[in-house]
Amino acid sequence: MARRFVISVLLVAVALTAQARTRPHYGGTLRIEIQGDPWQMPDGLARRLVLDTLATVSDTGTAQPALAVRWTAQNADHRWEFTLRPGVRFQDGAPLTAEAVVTALNDVCSRGAAANPPMACPWRMIRAVGDSVIFVSDTAVPDLPALLAQESFAIARQDTSGTIIGTGPFRVTGFANGALLLAANDDCWAGRPFADSVEIHPHRTVRDQWLDLSVGRADIVEVPPEMIRPAQQQHLSLLVSRPVDLLALTIAPNGPFSGREMRQAIALAVDRAALSNVIFQKQGEVTASLLPQALSGYAFLFSTDRNLDRARALRGGASPTGVILSAEDTSATLHLAAERLALNLHEAGFAVRVATTPARQPTALTLRRVHLEAASPAAALDEMLARFGQNGTVTATDPVSLWQTERGVLENDTIVPLLWSPRAWAAGDRVRDLRLWPDGAPRVADASLEGAK
Amino acid sequence: MPDARYNPPQRMMDKLRLSGWGAALVCLVAVLWVPAARAASWEQPASDLARQIASLTGPGPARLLMQNVSTLPAGDLPVIRRLLEQDLRRLGVLPGGSDSATLIRVTLSENLQGGLWVAEVQEGTETRVTMLAVPLAPAAPGGSGGAITIRRTLLITEDAPVLDAKIFVTGGVQRLVVLEQEQIVTWERNAAALATDAWMPDQTFPIAHTRPFPRDLRGELVAAADHPFDAWLPGVACHGTEAGAGVGTALSVTCVDSDDPWPLAGTMLRQTAFYNDLRDNFTGILAPGLGMDLPPFYEAGEIPHETGASLLLTLVDGRVLLMDGGVAKPVTGANDWGSDFAVLRSGCGSGAQVLVSGSGAAAAGDSLRAWEIAGREAVPVSAPISVDGAVTAIWASTDGASATVIVRREAPVRYEVWNGSALCN
Repeated sequence: MARRFVISVLLVAVALTAQARTRPHYGGTLRIEIQGDPWQMPDGLARRLVLDTLATVSDTGTAQPALAVRWTAQNADHRWEFTLRPGVRFQDGAPLTAEAVVTALNDVCSRGAAANPPMACPWRMIRAVGDSVIFVSDTAVPDLPALLAQESFAIARQDTSGTIIGTGPFRVTGFANGALLLAANDDCWAGRPFADSVEIHPHRTVRDQWLDLSVGRADIVEVPPEMIRPAQQQHLSLLVSRPVDLLALTIAPNGPFSGREMRQAIALAVDRAALSNVIFQKQGEVTASLLPQALSGYAFLFSTDRNLDRARALRGGASPTGVILSAEDTSATLHLAAERLALNLHEAGFAVRVATTPARQPTALTLRRVHLEAASPAAALDEMLARFGQNGTVTATDPVSLWQTERGVLENDTIVPLLWSPRAWAAGDRVRDLRLWPDGAPRVADASLEGAK
Repeated sequence: MPDARYNPPQRMMDKLRLSGWGAALVCLVAVLWVPAARAASWEQPASDLARQIASLTGPGPARLLMQNVSTLPAGDLPVIRRLLEQDLRRLGVLPGGSDSATLIRVTLSENLQGGLWVAEVQEGTETRVTMLAVPLAPAAPGGSGGAITIRRTLLITEDAPVLDAKIFVTGGVQRLVVLEQEQIVTWERNAAALATDAWMPDQTFPIAHTRPFPRDLRGELVAAADHPFDAWLPGVACHGTEAGAGVGTALSVTCVDSDDPWPLAGTMLRQTAFYNDLRDNFTGILAPGLGMDLPPFYEAGEIPHETGASLLLTLVDGRVLLMDGGVAKPVTGANDWGSDFAVLRSGCGSGAQVLVSGSGAAAAGDSLRAWEIAGREAVPVSAPISVDGAVTAIWASTDGASATVIVRREAPVRYEVWNGSALCN
C-alpha cells in the first residue's frame, strides 16, 4: 500500500512538473562534431551556416528566393536577370550589392577553373546593373536558379584578416580549443537563428563523435550510411536524408582502358548488390544512373545487372597489367569498397591492385564518392556532369531529354555509377526541430535547444 | 438535452438494421464507387500515355508488361492497365499478342515532382522510351470523434509559409485574407468552382518592414472597428482598408513599423499585449493590464465564466496559467499541450472549448484536440484528431466560433489553411 502511495505521489509530481512542448526557444550553444573540414568545398557545414546563395531549393527541387527575390529568363534562357533582396547586409555591416555578388561569383568561377576536375561556370558573362545581376550564356541554361542555389555559388567575402564573411545566420568569431566558433547573426535577413552560438569540432572520428553525444558533449554528430543500423540499435535520434552521395567508379579513357569494350567489361563485372549488402549494410540504393530513382523517376532504365560471362567475352583475352584502383579519399569504407571491386574485376579476369593511398590525380580506375546538392532532376544532372568533368550542360528539362542526355554520357562507360547512399545525423536530447536540407545537411539555424533561456 | 445532439448515431444504426437490403445496397455502392473514382482519375493520363506509345509502335499487335515501382496502391495497377489497354486498342495497338515482336514495358514510377509513367517499346534490339508526368492525388484528411467533434475544413493550400488567414466581408464581398511572411494576399470566392477550388487569389500587398523578421515568424489578422482588418507582425502593423465605396470595392493595405501592443482574442477583457520581436513571444506586459506582472507567453485567450472571463496563457517555459481575479493559477493536465491554442465559443458543454495543438514532434505528426478548463484542470472533451504535418499556428476567428489552423506538411513542404470548429455531440 505504501509503495503504491509513493508511486502515486511520484506520478503526480511528474505530472505537475512536466511542461508542455513549446515553440522553439532562443539561446544556447549547439555543439556539432564532424569528420571533415567545415570549410571544405562544396559541402562544408560552416559554409552553409555563414554564407547564403541567390536562391535555395525546396524539397521538390523548385528554386525559391533567397538573396535574390525574383528572376526572369530572357532570350530563350540565354540571359537571366536576378533582382537582389533589398536591405541585406554582410555580417560586417556592409550592404549586399550587385557588384559584391558579381565579385563573389567571379571568384567562384576562377577557383572552379583551377579545380581538379575543373568546374566551369555555366555563364559566359556576369554583370551588375542597379540592384540586379545579369547572367549571359552561350547555351540555354533553363535551370540557372536551381544551379545558383548550390553551395558552390554561395556569396562570400573575406575581410583583411582572411575571415570569411557572408550574409548567413551565423558569423565566424574565431577558432578555439579545436573548434570553429560561430555566433548568431542578429540581423540575418531570414531571421535570427535560435541558437546564440555554434561550435563545430572538425576532424572527429565517428567513434569519438558518438561518445561525445552519449555523454552530452556534442549535440549533433554524423552517422555514416553503413553505421545507420547500429545507430538505430543504439536508439539514437536519427535524421536520414534521401540518397545524396553517389559512389561511382571512373575509368580513364586512355591507357589500358582506351577501348570501349574493355570499359564495358569493367562496368559489367562490378557487383553492386554485394557492395550494398556487405560494405554499406543495405543503406543505399544500387544504381547505374547518375541520379537517384526518387529524383529522376527513370533510374531503373539503367541496368544494374552483373554479367560476368559478357564481361569476360568483351575482355577477349586481353589482360592489362599494372592496373591500379585508387579511392578518392582516406575513408576506411571507401577503401573496403575498392578492395571489393578489385575482387569483382579479378573474377572477370582483370588483375587490379588497390592503391594504399588516395589518388591525387585520376588513375586508370578511381573510386569516387560524389555529393549531390541539387534537388531537381535537370539541375542535378547538370551538377553531376560538372562533378565528373563532363562537358556540356542540360538544355532541356523534360524527363525524356534528361534520360537521353544521361544515356549519352554513360554509354561511354567512363563513369560507372554504383550506389546512392543517404547522409545521416544523430541529435542529442536537447536539440529540437532539427531538419535536413534536401542535400542532407542539417538546418542548424532552424534548430533550437530545449531549456535555452 | 437530446435535441442538442449532433447527428444522433443510434437513429442511423436503427435504420440500417431495419433495412437489410438498403444496407447491402449502400455497401455495394461504396465498393463500386471507390474503384470507379480511382479509375476516373487515371483516365486522362492513361489516354495520354497510350497516344505516346502508339506514336512509337504504330498499329499492330504488341505484348504489354506493366509494373508499379511507385507509391500508388497495388490495386491501382489493374485499373490503369485496363484503361491503357482500352486506349491502345482504340489507337490500333492490340495488346495481348504473346508472340508479338513488339514489347511494351510500362513502369509506373515517380519522382519528387509526382508520378512518372515510363513506357519502353522494344522492337528487336531497338528500345525507345517515352515518359509521362502524372500528378498524384493528395491523401484525404482524417476523421474525428469524441464528446465534442472537431470539424475542420480545408480552405486553401500554399507553398509559401502562411501565418494566419481569416474571412472578412469588404465592400459586400467575402474575402479570404491570407497573411504570409512577406505579403498579404486576398482571395475571392469562386462560386462556379468545386469545393476544393472555392477560393481564387485576387490582390497581393507586400509587407514593408525595415528590420528582419524573426525566424519563427508569427502574425495575426484581427478585425478592426473602422476598417476591415489589421495585420500584426513582429515590429510591423498593417491596416487593410477599402479603397472606395460600393460592392466589389478593392482593398488597400498599408504597413508601418510599429511596437504597439497586439490585441488579444476575446471581447470581454479587451486586453492588448506587447510583443518581443526578437524572441517572438509576448513580453507579458498587457495594456490596460490585469494589475499584476505576467511572465512571457506565446498565446492568450479568454475563457468566459458566469461573472466575467479569465485569461488563459501558454507560457514560454511550457506551463499553462489561468489568470482569474488577479490570481495566477497553474493549469494541470495540460502536459499534452503545444504552444498554440484558440478559445472556441461553441455553446456546447461549458460554452467554451480550447482548441489546442499537440506537443509531439512534428516528424511524428501533430494533433488537435478540444479541452475545457474545469477549475484549474484541463479536461479533454474531444478525441485528438491527427494532423498530417505540424500545426504552426492557431488563431481564433473574430466571433470566436471557429479558429484558423495552419498546418505545415512535409515532402513536399506546403502550408494548409484549415478552419476548425467544435460541434456538440
